[in-house]
This record gives sequence, C-alpha cells and structure tokens, in this order.
Amino acid sequence: MTPTDQALAWLSTYGVPVLFAVIMISSAGVPFPITFMLIAAGSFVELGELSLWPVIAAGIFGAVIGDLIGYGIGRWGSGTAVRIATWISSEEKWRQAEAAARKWGGPGIFFSRWLITPLGPCINFASGIAEYSWPRFLLWDIAGETIWVVLYVMLGKLFSDRVQAMKDMIGNLTWAFVALFACLVFGWKLIGYLRPAPSKEMASVPADPPGTSSLK
Amino acid sequence: MMNGRKKWLLVLAFVASAVLTVVFGLRAVHRRPHRRIDEPIRPWMTVTYVAHSYHVPPHVLYEALGIQHKPHDRLTIARVARQQNRPVQAVITDLMSAIERARPATPEGSPPAAPEGSPPAPSRQESRPGGSL
Repeated sequence: MTPTDQALAWLSTYGVPVLFAVIMISSAGVPFPITFMLIAAGSFVELGELSLWPVIAAGIFGAVIGDLIGYGIGRWGSGTAVRIATWISSEEKWRQAEAAARKWGGPGIFFSRWLITPLGPCINFASGIAEYSWPRFLLWDIAGETIWVVLYVMLGKLFSDRVQAMKDMIGNLTWAFVALFACLVFGWKLIGYLRPAPSKEMASVPADPPGTSSLK
Repeated sequence: MMNGRKKWLLVLAFVASAVLTVVFGLRAVHRRPHRRIDEPIRPWMTVTYVAHSYHVPPHVLYEALGIQHKPHDRLTIARVARQQNRPVQAVITDLMSAIERARPATPEGSPPAAPEGSPPAPSRQESRPGGSL
C-alpha cells in the first residue's frame, strides 16, 4: 500500500482521531494528502460511517494547532528548527512565502488556508519569523481553516461516490490558483515597469505653497 | 529602473505562469468527476464505499466476500484481505465479479444491444422520412 492508501485506511478504520492527527502534522509542515482525506471523510459522513460535526471540529482544530506549531517554530524556534523547516518546504517556496507574509499579512494567511493551500505551511513559518501578531494570525487562521474544512468535507459529501475523481480535479484546480496568483504578481510588476516614469521637469517643480497662487 | 535582462525574466515568468494556469485549469475541467466512470478499487476503501461508488447494494459485496454485513463496520478492503489471509488483489477481483453480476446487463444510459440475428438498426439518414429520395 502507498502512504496515502495507508493513511486513508487508518481514517476508514479509526475515524476522527486519525483525521485530527494527520491534519495537524501536515499543517505543521509535513507533506501529506490532507485535502484527499477531508474529501474521503465527507464521503464517509454521507455513508453514515462518520458524524459530520466531529469531522469538522477535528479538521479545524487539527489544522489550527498544526499552523500554530509552524508559526511557533518560525517565531521562537532555534535556528536549526528553521533550517529543517526550510529544507522540508524548499528554500524557494519558503522565500516566496516570507515575502507574501510581509506584504500581505492577514489576507495572505487567510487565502493560503483554503485557496492557495500549497503555500500554507510556508506562510506559517514566515509569519512567525516576520513576528506577525499571533492573535491576528490566529483570527485569520481560524477563518481560513474553517472555510477549507467545511468546503472540502461538503464536496466529499456531495460527490460521495467519486472521491478519487474529486481529488484529481481539486489538485489541478489548486495548482491552477497558485499559477494564477503568480501570474497576477508578475503581471502587476510588469505593469509597474511598463508604466512611464514621471519626467524630471515635473518631478523637480515644487508644488505651489498655499496662498501663493494669488501673487501670479 | 529594471535592466533589460530582468525585464525579460519578468515577461518569461508572467508567460510561464499564465500557461501553467491554463494547463492546470484545463486538466481540472478534463478530470471533473463523471458519474458514469467507475473508480478503481483501492485497499483503503470500505466495502460500503465500494458498493456506494459502484451503485450496487452493500449486502451483495459482503455476500461475495463471505462476511456478515454489519452496518457502519468500516471494513476496508485491506482489512478483509488481512482477515482472510489473501492478497488485496484477490479480494478486489471477487468484488469486481460480484459487481458485474449485480449490475444490469447494459451500462446506464447506453442503448440496449440488438439481439443476435436481428437486422442492424437503421441509420438516422435512412430512417428520415423521404430519405430514399
């Protein structure tokens, strides 16, 4: 069995505690197919093998605790821990996330929870290193993770007989959003570059001080 | 101000990300879940899930495996294989045979097969009034 099959088999057999543990570990930065697990959990809810509210609660709590672990490593962890985290997530991805954390703050945390999820763990570390306020981090994090968990569990419930097909579609859709995000960032920079710079004459002429216009 | 090399790198990055957006978007559309496509059976799936996915009654699959059906038992294919001390693939083969027997002879939505020896169905053009003209 592949690791994904094994994790899903544990979910099928042991239910909510496995969902909580795997989501927490993955949100802390260890790569795991948790979106697939949420979709499968939604399908099991539809089949009456799991209950809806414990699944949603386990998903949100697991994700938020995992995110806080990632944030804590970034903020208070030793240099070694940060180096390990950087190694797990790849340096390039991590640098992008740090820049995003500094630039976008709350909205960056919110959207990386449920829309551009591959950047999520990196944003956690980056927010910690950038010393982003932890109560604000927690607020944006809970809001984003709630959307993520409810969205995917409900999709699993809705397409309960086709979870693998859903996983394939959502995987592609997520990377399409990541690419779109990159496209928007590069497009914005390109527009800034192509926009004509203000001429030297205009820049050197000081604005009229108030009241001087009547002297003319 | 940005130098020429940086500008072209930026253009290249923009074009590459735009292409990737389209590629992944098209792949997502192409792989949207169709109702009529059967998913391959995996070891993590429960017997109940397989029955639900293939639209057959669960008791049919439990009977095929020689197991008593208990609701919400969360019995996975991997666990059945372990309990019965045989390969996962053998369990999947038994399930597929049971599914084929339980399903109607024709797949959902496709026209029924013509009985042997009957003349072929007329094409649209042939059956259209005035088509012989």
